Amino acid sequence: MPTLRSLLPALAFTAIYAAISLSVSNSYYQLVLTLVPVWAVFGLSWNLLSGYTGLISFGHAAFFGIGAYATALGQIYFDLSPWFLIPMAGLLGGVAGLLIGYPTFRLQGHYFALAMLAYPLAILYVFEWLGFQEITLPIKRDNPIAYMQFGDPRLYTLLALAMMLATILLTRLVERSRFGMALLAIKQNEAAAEAAGINTLAWKLRAISLSGAIAGAIGAFYAVVLLVVTPQSVFGMLVSAQALTVAMFGGVGTVWGPVIGSVILIPLAETLNAEAGSRFPGIQGVIFGLAVVCVILVAPEGLFWKLRDLHRKRSAPKAGDAQQAPASTATITTLQRELRRRPASADVVLEVQNLSRSFGGLKAVQDVSFKLHKNEILGIIGPNGAGKTTVFNLLNGFLRPDRGKVLISGRDMSGQKPHAICEAGIGRTFQVMRPFPRMSILDNVVVGAYVAAKSDAQARQLAANAVSRVGLSAVAGRLAGELSTKELRLMELARALAGQPRILLLDETLAGLGHGEADEVVTVIQQLARDGMTIAIIEHTMQAMVRLVDSFLVLDHGAVITEGEPEAVTRDSRVIEAYLGKKWVAHAPH
Amino acid sequence: MRKDTTYKGGITRRTVLSGAAAMGLSRVARAEQPQEVKVGLIVPLSGIYTRPGQVMKMGAEMGIEHINAQGGIKALGGAKLKLVVIDCGDTTEKAKNAAQRMVAQETDLVAATGAYLSSFTLAVTEVTERAQLPMLTLSYSDLLTERGFKFIFQTAATASRQSELGLPTLMKLAESASGKRPKTVAMLMDNTATSVATAKALKEKLFAQEGLQLVVEEVWTPPLSDATPLIQKVRSARPDLLLFMPNAVSDAKLGLEKISEFGLGQGKIPTVSFSITIAEPDMLQSVTPDVVQGIMTIVANWGSKGHEDLIAELKAKYKEPWMTQNVISTYGDMWLMKNALEKAGKADRLAVAEAFRNLDGGPSKYYPGGELKFDDKGRRVGAGVVIVQWQSGVPVTVYPPELAQASPFWPKKS
Repeated sequence: MPTLRSLLPALAFTAIYAAISLSVSNSYYQLVLTLVPVWAVFGLSWNLLSGYTGLISFGHAAFFGIGAYATALGQIYFDLSPWFLIPMAGLLGGVAGLLIGYPTFRLQGHYFALAMLAYPLAILYVFEWLGFQEITLPIKRDNPIAYMQFGDPRLYTLLALAMMLATILLTRLVERSRFGMALLAIKQNEAAAEAAGINTLAWKLRAISLSGAIAGAIGAFYAVVLLVVTPQSVFGMLVSAQALTVAMFGGVGTVWGPVIGSVILIPLAETLNAEAGSRFPGIQGVIFGLAVVCVILVAPEGLFWKLRDLHRKRSAPKAGDAQQAPASTATITTLQRELRRRPASADVVLEVQNLSRSFGGLKAVQDVSFKLHKNEILGIIGPNGAGKTTVFNLLNGFLRPDRGKVLISGRDMSGQKPHAICEAGIGRTFQVMRPFPRMSILDNVVVGAYVAAKSDAQARQLAANAVSRVGLSAVAGRLAGELSTKELRLMELARALAGQPRILLLDETLAGLGHGEADEVVTVIQQLARDGMTIAIIEHTMQAMVRLVDSFLVLDHGAVITEGEPEAVTRDSRVIEAYLGKKWVAHAPH
Repeated sequence: MRKDTTYKGGITRRTVLSGAAAMGLSRVARAEQPQEVKVGLIVPLSGIYTRPGQVMKMGAEMGIEHINAQGGIKALGGAKLKLVVIDCGDTTEKAKNAAQRMVAQETDLVAATGAYLSSFTLAVTEVTERAQLPMLTLSYSDLLTERGFKFIFQTAATASRQSELGLPTLMKLAESASGKRPKTVAMLMDNTATSVATAKALKEKLFAQEGLQLVVEEVWTPPLSDATPLIQKVRSARPDLLLFMPNAVSDAKLGLEKISEFGLGQGKIPTVSFSITIAEPDMLQSVTPDVVQGIMTIVANWGSKGHEDLIAELKAKYKEPWMTQNVISTYGDMWLMKNALEKAGKADRLAVAEAFRNLDGGPSKYYPGGELKFDDKGRRVGAGVVIVQWQSGVPVTVYPPELAQASPFWPKKS
């Protein structure tokens, strides 16, 4: 939840802006002052979807235009007031978001962006075909206030400001909650987010309908200000581009980005139109374009992030001398290494029966069966391409098995979505780490905690526990982007732990670590096992594994070669052959 | 090109000033402080509609120059008119902002004209209406004068009126020139606001009234990428009349070249348009004169009989080959403003607006048909149309007879 203090800048900005606009009596400057918050809100609506989820929308004009036309047509044909129509336009925008999002979220990356581009262009032609090439909001001479037609243009600015403040507060609320965390997680890695228990489709749909609702409402207000609605002016390419321009210029993924972008770009464009345009018509576009290009070159992530990085750099040395230096070295609370006292019990928590999966002609996994007992550490080993990670992907729902079953505590979960399997108690880490670099360690871990938490406070509590279990408490506030490989591995472990899983799937957790570092991570894993966690781990480093695991499962060519106690397995000739080739079998000790 | 125009404009003003001094007009200036009355021209001078905006500016500059050279506003002691030019850009939002800028910063304007595209005029007049600034316009969308506005004055016949006037005239022309009344018609149009409004009037009322049967109807969204399928349909239907209604020069070029390529050109199928696009000077940059020979268009205004001196001056000064609606209407607007100022007797926008409303200036010299008088809606009383036909590489006025520069010829089917 945003605290009052965190909202102070937004409130102060709005108050100053309102004071300035009240002192301006020139109606033209006032119009520009009205348009700044309008485009800021539109940028914020775009940011809510594209800034936080990373799914770029080139088609936000669809929602904007629907709002604008709803208001214009509602007033023309039903004599409804914009006071009523603007909220209705928000509702329509939200519904449009759902309708557009549901089919379009099947696509990712560029395909999503291009598909979104098509919607406003298609709707544009529909409105032309309907004969709405140009419509105007009827002038109301008798009761102008009831129809939002003010004699004093300052009132429009104040209304626009109110909408902007509301949008900023809403965005802050989203940003700080489970909603925002889910969106950020999707942006960083949608697969990892699913694995962390986030129902990505549901959150994306919520994001696009909220974003569509904001865009619809501000589009409606825009129609009231512009008074004339044409398909080009509300569904056109330039409208969608406007949202992207202000957000990307100011900074993506922050509430301040679109506001900064709009405050600078809208008056700049207008001034150029007014001043340069009357002397050298057309030059305004050139200057405006060049200005945007230069800023994007200097600050590719937008002005906000550039300024924040500069500010951090300047203030960092002061704080760093005293505190940060020791913090960056002493990272891990040393855990004592001792032998496991609680051996695996007889309860089966995960049972895999005849699991198979092929990719075309390649049988990646064939008839794999094994049981994981409560509190057991199972090592899954095998040469490259043996199908180890595929087994994990089948277990946590990234892939559907062709045949076979996965029983979690006796319940058949095969073929379920990753977030559902996560809720059922399976957490996992990835071979390739997926940190959220702009977030602190604690925030990274909070993302994983929501699956088990009812409230934001509980999620933070669970996350803090998980961070302390892997020994990162001392550095919990640092940004993930500044961490070493070892710390990242531990952070990923904490993220998986935060969801309170009963079973952990660890995919090459020791990869890329030095000898000493690997030992430290091994110590953490052993501690987890002592605390009652059931663990399946994929690993290449035999030496570390032999000390860690209770039993081995050996895969080759997608099938189980053998399983059993570490001592027996490492002597098995089939295992040596699979790893080293036939001729080494003779040299192996028998 | 643009630079060249600006340069010419500069020369013009200087010439006028020295000319005025030489002609001994300083009599008024001696009597009282030389006064200036500002009038606005708000047109697109950047973006894709730059060219029509520039042409309108030529008309306005010529008008101001002539009025000032002939003694300015006599009722105001020979006050000179001064033109304030404002670029309304290429979007509705830019047009609205520009209009706001115009009324906020040019507070002493008494009247203005603009803004070429009807969408822009709609947005601009929403602002000028609230600022009570009288606005003349050559845009002909019906909507402009259907909003109950008091400060807009439309000099051209509205779109629906143009088709009402145009088609019967065309039929008469066909009958007298070829001895036979057309019976079938094909219509190829883009889906812009003007084409849609015109087509609506044609289909709902006028075709039936004139006994015409619509045999082909095709609509495209600009830009047209390939005209082949459209023209193929026309060729197989063999209508007596083809209405070809593009609003972009590139679309017009594609269509006409294809018509020529299919052997339907040179009047094998009489082709008629409803906008000035097809008669713009730009057309000759993309097609040869024989491709357009005989093609007709029905427009709200055109350089006609009685405008010979103006046309010659336009050619000499701005290198424009002929006078389109944009030049002559904007030129006429300046005179209309002068008329209103003389009648109002003071440089005040409310008084000028009132003068426009009560104007009774007799037959109109620079707009076809009717009088210099506006009805309650702000539409010019009796506003007519002209028919223009390409003849030997120049679109000349062929109808009405009192304005015709040449006799029309009706292409005969061979």
